[in-house]
Amino acid sequence: MGEINRSPYESTITLTVNGDTHLFRLGEGCHEVSPSHTLAFTLRERLGLTGTKISCDRGACGCCTVMMDGKAVLSCMLLTVECEEKVISTIEGLGDPITGSIDPIQQSFIDHTAFQCGFCTPGIIMSTKALLTENPSPTRGEVQEALAGNFCRCNSHYHVLDAVMAVTRKGG
Amino acid sequence: MKAFAHINACSVGEVIQLLAKYQGKAKLNAGGTDLLGVLKDRILPDYPELIINIKTITQLNSIEENDEGLRIGALTPLINIIASPLVEKTYSILKEAAVTVASPQIRNMATMGGNLCQDTRCWYYRYPDEIGGMIKCFRKGGKTCPAVTGENRYHAIMEARKCFAVCPSDMAVVLTVLGATLTIAGGGGTRDISVEEFFTPMGNVLVPDEMITMINIPKPSPVASQNFLKFTLRKPIDFAIVSAASLITIDRGICTDARVILGAVAWKPIRVSEAEGFLRGKELTEEVIAEGARLALVGAKPLSKNAYKVDIAKTLVKRAVAGC
Amino acid sequence: MKDYRFIGKATTRKDALDIVTGKTKFINDLSFPNMLYAKVLRSPFPHALIKSIDTAKAMKLPGVKAVLTYKDIPDWMGGLPRHVRVLDSKVRYVGDAVALVAAETEEIGEEALRLIIVEYEPLPAVYDVEEAMQPEAPQLYEQFPGNVLPRGIRVFGPNPLQEVVIGDIDQGIAEADFIVEGTYSYENIPNPLPPESPGAIAVWEGEDTLTVWSASQGPHILKVALQKMMGSSNVRSMGSPVGGSYGSKYMSWQYVFPAAALAKATRRPVKICYGRAEQLAAFTVRLGSRIHGKVGMKMDGSVTFLEGDWFVNTGAFSEMAQGMVAVGCGEAQLMLKCANWNLKPKVVCTNRTASGQVRGFGGQELKCALVPILTLGMEKANIDPVDFFKKNYVKPGEGYYWRDGEWWVSKGIDFTNAIEEGARVFGWQEKWQGWLKPSSVEGTKRRGVGVGVHGNADVGEDVSEAFVRLDPDGKAIIYSGLAEHGTGQRSNICKMVAEILQIPLEWVSVTAADSSINPFEFGPVGSRGTYAIGSAVIEAAEKAKKQLFDLMAPKFKVTPEELETVNGMVYVKGKDEEKLPWIAGLGYHGTCLGRGRFQPDFTLPNFMMIFTEVEVDTETGKVDLIKVVSATDVGQIIDPPSLINQLNGCLGSAGIDSALFEETVLDTRLGRIMNPNMIDYKWRTFAELPEMEHAILETPFPSHRFHAIGVGEIAPSPGPSAVLMAVANAIGVRIYDYPLTPDKILSALGKMDTLKKGGRG
Repeated sequence: MGEINRSPYESTITLTVNGDTHLFRLGEGCHEVSPSHTLAFTLRERLGLTGTKISCDRGACGCCTVMMDGKAVLSCMLLTVECEEKVISTIEGLGDPITGSIDPIQQSFIDHTAFQCGFCTPGIIMSTKALLTENPSPTRGEVQEALAGNFCRCNSHYHVLDAVMAVTRKGG
Repeated sequence: MKAFAHINACSVGEVIQLLAKYQGKAKLNAGGTDLLGVLKDRILPDYPELIINIKTITQLNSIEENDEGLRIGALTPLINIIASPLVEKTYSILKEAAVTVASPQIRNMATMGGNLCQDTRCWYYRYPDEIGGMIKCFRKGGKTCPAVTGENRYHAIMEARKCFAVCPSDMAVVLTVLGATLTIAGGGGTRDISVEEFFTPMGNVLVPDEMITMINIPKPSPVASQNFLKFTLRKPIDFAIVSAASLITIDRGICTDARVILGAVAWKPIRVSEAEGFLRGKELTEEVIAEGARLALVGAKPLSKNAYKVDIAKTLVKRAVAGC
Repeated sequence: MKDYRFIGKATTRKDALDIVTGKTKFINDLSFPNMLYAKVLRSPFPHALIKSIDTAKAMKLPGVKAVLTYKDIPDWMGGLPRHVRVLDSKVRYVGDAVALVAAETEEIGEEALRLIIVEYEPLPAVYDVEEAMQPEAPQLYEQFPGNVLPRGIRVFGPNPLQEVVIGDIDQGIAEADFIVEGTYSYENIPNPLPPESPGAIAVWEGEDTLTVWSASQGPHILKVALQKMMGSSNVRSMGSPVGGSYGSKYMSWQYVFPAAALAKATRRPVKICYGRAEQLAAFTVRLGSRIHGKVGMKMDGSVTFLEGDWFVNTGAFSEMAQGMVAVGCGEAQLMLKCANWNLKPKVVCTNRTASGQVRGFGGQELKCALVPILTLGMEKANIDPVDFFKKNYVKPGEGYYWRDGEWWVSKGIDFTNAIEEGARVFGWQEKWQGWLKPSSVEGTKRRGVGVGVHGNADVGEDVSEAFVRLDPDGKAIIYSGLAEHGTGQRSNICKMVAEILQIPLEWVSVTAADSSINPFEFGPVGSRGTYAIGSAVIEAAEKAKKQLFDLMAPKFKVTPEELETVNGMVYVKGKDEEKLPWIAGLGYHGTCLGRGRFQPDFTLPNFMMIFTEVEVDTETGKVDLIKVVSATDVGQIIDPPSLINQLNGCLGSAGIDSALFEETVLDTRLGRIMNPNMIDYKWRTFAELPEMEHAILETPFPSHRFHAIGVGEIAPSPGPSAVLMAVANAIGVRIYDYPLTPDKILSALGKMDTLKKGGRG
């Protein structure tokens, strides 16, 4: 049974993002993390990881998709304070940090020009990464279902599907 | 988002104590996919002082089967329902409904309990404060429901009196057809209630110091066919315009049992008992099914812009009963 | 066809790596030290006078640095003509700006808005375009009696096209075999819905130098416009990658002004980034379009006259409505060979969020209502619509009044081959069963086909300038005010320069879209990127190359015309054994600079036809899009994947899907937009994609050395009317407005006895 009189303000949070650990004080100060801050906000405004985009900010467009414990989740609908002890990866964390090479999914998106304006691309790639981590050889239909929560207004869908299928054929 | 205090709860007991202490000024956060939208848009007159994270109560993330049926912890995410072999084998309609909810990301986050407790999607109720102020409708203590003479294409066609919002939960529809009950923990102890009785015209029966802990689903007849159909403009993302769930048992060509539920037509999933009664004991010919569908919607009272929902509901009942 | 080294080949977008790694910095990814955040207080009333505003409590909130109202806002004006103040004592739509706040954080700014006390005097509001013109209707602006926006605005020169009045209607009536008449409307005001909402950062130096970073699709024209609208201020406009615009973020004063005013008041950098609800409910949407029209036709499908009132609903103000009407009027003539016209537009303001520029720019809005009226005649004459469009689309040697009010004659190509190829790819012959007849029926599912057409002569609109600088190391830099908004245009101009200079694509780069270093650039709109922008860049590269050869010729003792260059080495044509690097001519400390300038040319219409197949479930009213084929002729493909991407774009950005499920829902009792979120505003997902094919021909255009023209902007425009036609054919009943949601389908099929049938709702 937890003690209910503990003050929610007197604590810190440790966030693990792309393998790096960050310690924040909880609070309303300008360098602190507020309990009301979403993970998307913390990634962008505290860690400078602006590859994660905010578009609808209401969980409907998938632009803020990141991976948490291997699953695609919406960082605009998660409170940062609820992400302690989770393994979070963002678009900046894809690829090999040692060699600096990019993920095969990213390369395939480049090769297929699988974007136009590119704003939704990080979210789409993170959803793809989550899918291929769980299912390395999905059908085209399964890819469509897995990306069903990702908005793309330029209609790059067809090239995205080609790009993803090309990676799966290589064994992802 | 406006600031609030926050606690990661360790146990149901702690949650109940906190809820009692804050007297309605604390909100539970499960998947967060509904609550955070409500808070960001400032749609409610009151803003919570405390958010209690209940995902940290890990024992409520569980799917277990015993002789009586299935027990699902309220904090089980929808993705676990979809991936569960237990569900797939005997309670497939749960999966059928869960896969239609929102998007893959949401299904990874949203929980069973959260799906049942989510607030309505009525667009008057949900109108964002930042564009000229939230709308104080009947549900928020206002005098009238603006949907009645307004943009009511998605609103109730049945059983509505003062508020014409509909229950948005897909899981409620299939849980109702399965005859599920909910275990509710609260300051006064624990109680069980059927899903059918859980909803009220303004929301649900939970009092400020209560939360759902378990969902108990009796084992359906192994020969009953389970069907869930959801009509939307788009397959992903959308909430149901109308949905229908059926549990139909056919023995030697005759329908021996029929349970049929309509979703998104009223403030709760609607059991169409008259239609069920009509179907029982009959051979389910096209004509019988059509008559059953007609009977299912006899009580419908559409508003100015949602009569089409009556037609769609009839069609879904027909298709759900026919199993196509 | 010429085999180029880069042109026509799929090459990697120059910005590809940054995009896929999340490094691309969109406007909201930028921040400055000491930066404040802007928030806008928005009106709860569709029409009201502000009786009083008390900002004292808001000002006292710690972290609030400025609160501005109409009393202390600079007198900057936008709109056409200038009639839109940054803040006014009158509000004209729910969501209209009432006050501005600059604060240390967004949260503080939001709380400050709640502390501003405003007393309003509500006024009656009007939403319907024809009701707004009635004598007793509420008046939005004193200077626009009857709510009708003035004509004759010098938007495209002294005499812009504001109507189509040609020939003699009586003559057309006399010649007609029959006359059809009808009212159609495209008034669901779909939203272009760019994923990146409008945003800008404003920084002042001293009193009169303003630097603006913005998500504008046309950062250089923004500088020009801001300077005009703000008076004498010296504006530097910095373009950033645009996270989708589809026209809507071209003119950006609506959101730049608040940031600039707050930055001026606080003397600190101020960022404004709209939230999604603001973008959907308080930013520009498409024009509303309704036509009462009459068409005379002969049984062979020739049109003897067209007469109609075109009601254009521009919402609370005109951002560019008269300009869009001008282009729409021109585009109607491209589609329809007709000697006698009397098409009279009326641009009317009403109490909802304003309409602005969107891909399709007036022509799509016009066609969505006009083409269905023409189909009434096609049905009567029993003419296949593909044959009708083939017969009537403008051909070389035929003329039209364009947006500048001048008569232009097409020097382009005949699109008959593109039409025929599109029909073949789609299987039109097999699927077309005649008017109001389904192409197939299976149980409750009925399929139907439809076709639409669109084109503009704006591929050569307005001025573009560019410099190309050659560096001694063989590299080339393009100076252009072009911002990348998704078409790959910045990469494509690099391809053009690489092709001319025969250097690797990696050796060509483009300057940042900074108006202080680049020459004039109108921006990538109206499909003008390939021809207009391309021509300026090509000329600049050719001139730079000539300068280089002038410098190098003496070294080879030949004339400059005898020289060639490949991969940074110069040699005499046919004698590549003796080569010299550019540095031999330029020296270590030299460069050469070519300048290119494109002058407007309206003689090359482009073309797009869209074939659609739909399936209607007659029991639920659901319409599914099954197949789409677009047919066009682009002269020469510059980059195949970029072109295909653009053509695939026909679905969203308020294109085809605006006929199916996209709409802005306005409650006309409250004046509120009920679906300002991305659940209730419908957009197409990955899970539901139609089969998509394209018929792309390459018949050389007399444009520039690559004989290419652009088609990106027009890709969606033929779509909605094609879907309307397809659904009518599937169910055998006509529907007169958009979108084709289940309620309308079931009503048209007579399924809902409780509802009135047909017409606009």
